Amino acid sequence: MYYPFETRVTPLTSVRHKRTLPAPGEVFARVGDRVEPTQVVARVNLPGDFRVLPVARLLGVPISQVRRHLRVSLGDEVRQGQVVARRRGLIARSVKSPIDGAVTASGGGRILIEAQPTTFDLRAYVYGTVSNVLEHYGVVIETMGAVIQGVWGAGGESLGVIKCMVKSPDQPLRGKAIDPSCHGTVLVGGAGLNEGALERAQELQVRGIVVGGLAPELISQVKELPFPVIVTEGIGTVPMSMPIFRLLATNDGREASISGQVQPRWDIVRPEIVIPLPAETLPPAQTQPGTPLAVGTPVRMARAPYMGAVGTVVALPAHPRRIETGARVRGAEVDLGQGAPIFVPLANLEVLR
Amino acid sequence: MTEEQRIDSILLADCGTVMTKAVLLEQVAGQYRFVAQGETPTTAEYPWSDVAAGIHHAVERISEATGRHFFDTSGNLISPELAGGQGVGMFAATVSASQPLQVVLAGLVRDLSVASAERAAAGTYSLVKAILANDGREGGLSGEERVRTILDAAPDVICIAGGIEDGAVTPVLELVETVALACSMMDTSVRPRLLYAGNSRLRQRVVNIVGGQADLRVADNVRPTLTEENLLSTQAELDTLYVQDKMGLLPGIDAVSGWSPAPPTPTAHALGRLVQYLWHLGDPSRGVLGVDVGAANTTVAAVFDGQPCLAIRGDLGITFGGEQLLQERGAKTITRWLPEPMNSDEARGLLINKEMRPVSIQQEPRELWLEQALAREAIRMTLEVARPGWKPGAARPYSHLLPLCDTIVVSGGILAHAPRPGQAALIALDSLEPIGVSTLVLDAYGLAPALGSVAAVKPLAAVEALDSGVLVNLATVVTPVGHARRGDLILKVRVTYDDGSTFSVEVHYGDLEVLPLLPGQQAVLELRPLRHFDVGLGGPGKAGKRRVSGGLVGLIIDARGRPLRFPRAPKQCQLQMRQWLWDMGG
Repeated sequence: MYYPFETRVTPLTSVRHKRTLPAPGEVFARVGDRVEPTQVVARVNLPGDFRVLPVARLLGVPISQVRRHLRVSLGDEVRQGQVVARRRGLIARSVKSPIDGAVTASGGGRILIEAQPTTFDLRAYVYGTVSNVLEHYGVVIETMGAVIQGVWGAGGESLGVIKCMVKSPDQPLRGKAIDPSCHGTVLVGGAGLNEGALERAQELQVRGIVVGGLAPELISQVKELPFPVIVTEGIGTVPMSMPIFRLLATNDGREASISGQVQPRWDIVRPEIVIPLPAETLPPAQTQPGTPLAVGTPVRMARAPYMGAVGTVVALPAHPRRIETGARVRGAEVDLGQGAPIFVPLANLEVLR
Repeated sequence: MTEEQRIDSILLADCGTVMTKAVLLEQVAGQYRFVAQGETPTTAEYPWSDVAAGIHHAVERISEATGRHFFDTSGNLISPELAGGQGVGMFAATVSASQPLQVVLAGLVRDLSVASAERAAAGTYSLVKAILANDGREGGLSGEERVRTILDAAPDVICIAGGIEDGAVTPVLELVETVALACSMMDTSVRPRLLYAGNSRLRQRVVNIVGGQADLRVADNVRPTLTEENLLSTQAELDTLYVQDKMGLLPGIDAVSGWSPAPPTPTAHALGRLVQYLWHLGDPSRGVLGVDVGAANTTVAAVFDGQPCLAIRGDLGITFGGEQLLQERGAKTITRWLPEPMNSDEARGLLINKEMRPVSIQQEPRELWLEQALAREAIRMTLEVARPGWKPGAARPYSHLLPLCDTIVVSGGILAHAPRPGQAALIALDSLEPIGVSTLVLDAYGLAPALGSVAAVKPLAAVEALDSGVLVNLATVVTPVGHARRGDLILKVRVTYDDGSTFSVEVHYGDLEVLPLLPGQQAVLELRPLRHFDVGLGGPGKAGKRRVSGGLVGLIIDARGRPLRFPRAPKQCQLQMRQWLWDMGG
C-alpha cells in the first residue's frame, strides 16, 4: 500500500482555520460567533522599539555608582530628550532618552528604555463560525466552501472577487489583458504570467493572482508584491491542472480569501484559496484523508515531464520499473485521457481531494 | 559478565524528515540476513500527525512481502517474537524528522571560544541563527544591537562561551548581562534556555546575573585554554535539549519509544556510533568516515586516531536547503557538477519544486544531475564544518586533505537510490576526495545508523547484523596523492585475484579508472607509485600490497589529483563531468 501526498482541491467542504497570535494576547471572539474576514478576533501588544543606554560608560562612572546618578526609576515613563541620568561636578555629563517609552530594566551600568508596544490585530481571514477559542492565543473558525491548495506562494493574506482572465488552463496571464475592471480582484491565469502582468496588476491594485506556473526569474519580483500570488502546479511554465482551473472558473465572480503563505516543513503551511459557499450539508467525501492509493484514484503528476497533468490510476504494478533516469522504482499506470497509460513513480503522484 | 541473549529477528526503522524506512533482518543459519524493506512518506504532518503511522506504513510493505505481522490489533508492536513467527525479536529506531535546535552562540573571540561553541553545536541537529562575538568580528555590535539580534533570532538556546579558565571576567559578564536583558524582554512562553560554557570560575556570578530571567544550564568550559578544546559537556547538554525539546515533541514519538528497550536515537548520533564500531573493527592507524545526506540535514561522522567527531549541517539537505545552498555557494559551484548546461534560474526553479513536493523523485536526467550536484556540495560544506575538529595524527598526513580512511560509509536516499552504483561512488569521490586506499560502503536501505542504536543494548547483535546486507560494498578506491602533468604515468597496479589470475594497469595523472572486482570477490593489490606519489602505504613513493574486497562498482583508481580541479569554461566542465560519469558507468 502507498499513502500518497494529498492536495485539497474540493468544490465544497468544511474548512477549519486555526488563527493564532504571535504571542499571548486578548481574544475577542467567542464560540459560536459569526465572523467576517476583516473582523479582528484577537489582539496582542508586541514589544516596540527599545534602546539600551550604557549609562556608566556615557557618564564615565563605575557601574557601582550608576544608581546615584540616575534621574529615573524602574517603570517610569520617559519622553524623548528627557534626562535620565546626570553626573554633576567639574566634568558634568547627562544622558537623555532617545525615544518616548518606559524604563523597564537596569543593571550592569545600563538601563533599558522600551517604547510603547505596537498593536497586532488578528483578523478572521475567512467568513465562518468560531468553533473553538484558544485561550490567549486565538480561535478556530469553521467555514463551508471550496478550497484549493497551491504548491508555492508569496505574500500574505487577502480577500477579493475571483476574476478568471484566461479561457484555458494552458494560456498565460498577459499584462495587456489586465484592465481597470481588475481592480480589487483575484486574477486567475493559466500556465504562468509575464513581467508585464505583474506590473499591471500592481498598478491596478489587484488583491491577488493565482497561476499554474511561475517562471523562476520572476520569483524575486513576486516576493516583493503587496498582494499574494499562488502557484498551483510548480515553478516553470506549467498549465494549471484542469480540476483547479474548472473550480476557479465556476466560482468566477465569487469572493475568496487567499493566502500566499508557505512553510514547506514543520507545521506545513500551504498557500490556499477559500471560497465561502452557502451550504447546509456537505456531500459525502469521495476519499478520506490518508487513504492508500488504489486503482481508480484520480491523481495529479508532481514532477516533470508530466507536472500538473491529471489522470486516473489504472494499474498498480507489483514490481518496480525503469524510468528515464535509469532508476527502478515502484509506480502506477495512469490514464491521462489521451493515448496509452503512462508509468509514473508512486512518489510523484498526488491525490487531489 | 552475562551472555547476550540471541535475537532471531531485528526490525530497524528510521523516521526521516521526508521518508520513513523500515528493514527486517532475520537469523538464517546463525547469521543475520536482510529479508525485506519498506519505505513510505513520513507522517509527522496532517493528516496523520503521528510518526508511528509512517513506521506502520513502511512495515506494512514488509508484511506484504513476508506475510508476517508485526503489530497487534491495537497497533502495538509485537515483541519479543511469538512462536508462530509473528512480531519481531527486537526493534530499534532512529529519528531525524524533528526540527533542529535554533541556537544563538555568544562568546569573546570568534576564532577561539565561539568557534569551539560552534563545533559543539554542530554535534547535534542545530541551526545557528546568530553569532555574537566580543572581538568586533560581527561588525562591533552595540549592546542594543546584540539584544535586537537575539530577539530577531528567537532561539531555543543561547550558548554562552568565552573566557579561558582564570581568564577574562568583565567581558564575559557583560555578555551574560546582554543575554539576560534580551531574555527579560521576551514573553516567558518563548524565552530561550541559556547554556553557559565559559570560564567556570564565573558560574556563580552568571547564575546571579541571569536570576530567574531564563532556565540556565551550565557545561564545562568549551575552551579552557587557548589551545585546548572541550566540547563533550556542551554537546551533551545540547543533545539533551534536542532530544527533550525537539525530538520529544514529535507527534507519536512516545508510541515508538514504547516499542523498544532502546529509546529512539537521533540518526546522526546513531551514525556516529556505527562509525565508532567500524573503527574498532578495523585498522586503528587509519580512520573511518560516515556521511549521511538527508532531505534536511547532512552529517559527517568520523573517527581518526580513536577520536570521534560529529558534524551536522541542520540547514543543508537534498530537499530542504537547496535554494539556500545555491545562494551561499553560487550557481556555478553547483552547476560545475552537471554534465549539461543549466542556468541559475532553472536550477532555482527545480530546487523549489523539489522543496514543495519533498516526497517526489527525479524523473528526468537533468533533475537527477542537479540533485546529485547538490549532494556533492552539501557534503563538501559539511566537511568544512567537520575538518577543524580533526586533530593531527597518524591518519592525517596532509592537513588540507581528507585523512586516510579504511572505510567510508555513505548513506542517504540520493546515494542509496542512485540509478547506477557508479553515480553513488562518484558523488562520494567528488565530495569527499579520499586519499590512499579506502573501501566505499553504501548504506543500501538508509538504516545502517539504526544498527548503532541496536549496539546500545545488544552489541553482539549489532556486530553480527553488519554483515546482513544492510551495508553493501560499493568499491575499493585507490587515490594517489602528488603533483604531475596530466597524462604522466604515476602508478603501476597489479591485481592478483584469489584464483591466481592477474593483470596489470598503468595509471596516468588525470585518469579515473574502474577495474573489475565483483562483490564478494577479493584480490591482492600491488601498488607501485612513481614520481613520489603517495598511495597511503607509508608515505610518498612507498610501494606495497593490500588485500581488498570487490563491490558493486569494482576497483576504482582515482588519479584525478587532490584537490580536484575544474576547467574555467562551463562547457569544458560539462565535458569533464560527462567523461567522469562515463568512466564510472554512471
